[in-house]
Amino acid sequence: MLEAKKLSKRYGQHLALEGLDLSIGAGEVFCLLGANGAGKTTTLNLFLGFITPTQGEARVAGLAVQQHEAQVRGLLAYVPELVMLYPRLTGRENLAYFNTLAGRPALSPQESTGWLANAGLQPGAMDVPVGRYSKGMRQKVGIAIALAKGARALLLDEPTSGLDPLASNELSELLLRLSGEGMAVLMATHDLFRAKESGTRVGIMKAGRLVETRATRDLGHAELEQLYLAHMRG
Amino acid sequence: MIRAIARKEWMELSRDGRFRVAGALVFLLALVGIAVGALHVRDSRAEREAGARLTRQHWLEQGEKNPHSAAHYGVWAFKPESVLAAFDRGVEPYLGVAVYLEAHKRNATQYRPAADATAAARFGELTGAGVLQLLVPLLIILLTYSAFTAEREQGTLRLLLSTGVRRHQLVLGKALGIGLALAALLVPLFVVVVVLVVGLGGGAGVSPGELLGRLSGLSLGYGLYLAGFVFLGLAVSAWARTSRGALVALLGVWMVNALLVPRLAVDAARAWAPVPTAQDFARQLAEDYEKGLSGHDPVDQRQAALERETLARYGAASLEALPVNFRGIALQAGEEYSNRVGAQRFGELEARYGEQERLHRFFAPLSPMLALRHLSASLARTDLSAHLRFTRQAEQYRQGLVKQMNDTITFRSKYGDADYKADASLWREVPELSLDEERLPEALGAQVPGLLLLGFWLAWTTFFALRACARLSAV
Repeated sequence: MLEAKKLSKRYGQHLALEGLDLSIGAGEVFCLLGANGAGKTTTLNLFLGFITPTQGEARVAGLAVQQHEAQVRGLLAYVPELVMLYPRLTGRENLAYFNTLAGRPALSPQESTGWLANAGLQPGAMDVPVGRYSKGMRQKVGIAIALAKGARALLLDEPTSGLDPLASNELSELLLRLSGEGMAVLMATHDLFRAKESGTRVGIMKAGRLVETRATRDLGHAELEQLYLAHMRG
Repeated sequence: MIRAIARKEWMELSRDGRFRVAGALVFLLALVGIAVGALHVRDSRAEREAGARLTRQHWLEQGEKNPHSAAHYGVWAFKPESVLAAFDRGVEPYLGVAVYLEAHKRNATQYRPAADATAAARFGELTGAGVLQLLVPLLIILLTYSAFTAEREQGTLRLLLSTGVRRHQLVLGKALGIGLALAALLVPLFVVVVVLVVGLGGGAGVSPGELLGRLSGLSLGYGLYLAGFVFLGLAVSAWARTSRGALVALLGVWMVNALLVPRLAVDAARAWAPVPTAQDFARQLAEDYEKGLSGHDPVDQRQAALERETLARYGAASLEALPVNFRGIALQAGEEYSNRVGAQRFGELEARYGEQERLHRFFAPLSPMLALRHLSASLARTDLSAHLRFTRQAEQYRQGLVKQMNDTITFRSKYGDADYKADASLWREVPELSLDEERLPEALGAQVPGLLLLGFWLAWTTFFALRACARLSAV
């Protein structure tokens, strides 16, 4: 579903991403680990078409991102680190707005309730202005937007950053459920624990290069940590 | 898609306390301006109508007297007050409202409202047009400066662009949403103007079709001007890195448009085509009437030449032997000479005004407000052109009246009959002053360049907004 071939991005003298080869299938949750500046967000931006690669190609469902930007955007959903929504609109109104922008048919009240509940938002919060939401609640709306869009791949950038343990756990469960439904998930994160819990594979990035890829079932929490630290220190 | 974006913008704005407060303030100011303007028009029209009735009554009841004395007795001509002056007073406050019509000389208009204004009023009069020209653009700046910068600063832009929405749809949707918010403010004001204009007796001198056409023209002009500001605000917001930068840039544009260029235009016009002071003009005119336009053509020499010419034409040996009263002929000849003097001097003055206006318009590409001001005042019949139209017609009437008096002396009295007097029957023969006001097609025809300029203003701001938005990046 998500494929990178020799994908590179250079900013002047700085090589932000170097020759990334990656393939993420439907139902897979791939967690990109790495220090700040390792190239995780650059990878997401390249799949989203926010930036153009210096070399190589990113593909979504076989479509080259640069050549089929509009179709690719329809296949992808994106949840940034801080899900920023329109504070004067309610969660339901934000969902309806982004859903329309994605070119989807208008949602009925029952449908929007369904999507928001599916993402874990309490019914009592759905018609409250988002300005009063916590970070976790905003993220749930962000995920509801992604779900309602009917995307086939989900890109998340540091989704557990700043979340309390319960919200973080709910997110893990949701990702597992989505992967079970055939969604391909690419998640950039610093959270080794959640990567192990949610991911089917992890990739460790360092200085713009993907230096290690492992299936999470082959790793325990401690092993993953040791592996990560070894790469960071090495 | 565009509708959905517009709807979201509208929802956000309608819940934004800043917009509600600023909008209410602008609405109230415009409402007060229009209401005060309407009261002024009502009072002014009543005063001028009463003045016109009174001067006619005085003319008819002046009693028996020599027609030349009657020509000196004269009448007042009052400029009709346009009902749309309730919305836009244009240059009315700076020009006179009445002119005294008498024999021998063309007078300048008198009673400039600005001359009676208090010092405080000189800071600027609050009118509906002024609020729309100056304050509504400020409100638009408040609504648009952060339209894209806030999306970037708050982080919604990444999410927004990840949906696949086209950038031109964002611009048009936001413009439509902000336009709807403005319409919620301006449409009721437009209704108030219509109600007040009709209430003021809009039919007097203006047909409903004419009035509707003028209101439509005003709506078009102001629509183009304000829509241009909406797109300019969106363009700068998409182009700027921060909301603060966008706000500073837009306020700069506002100052250039509303303060700097109009000031420069006025100063440049004064320097390019200076007009004499009222005192200097009156002194020059009096000298020309006395000494002739050339300064070497005094009145007694002209009189002697006329005598010779008249005697030769009738083959008479003396003035007493003429079949007509030479005094009337002499008076009319003197009148025609002074008419030429007046036409030349006032023509020069009007030409200067014209040059000033042309130079003023030359600055309009730098300030669409200048183009709008001309359009607005023209459609409201409160511009210089409407004033000059009045003064020319009043002068034509004066010349006709004086000629009628002089012809009466010429053909109904004998030379040397110093006791000849006419009565009310002659005064009644003189028609009342009837003014032919400029029609809409003429006004619109003169304002085509201004309308084109406002259209160009909207076109380039739209283009700028689309270009700036195409450069919007999520990273």
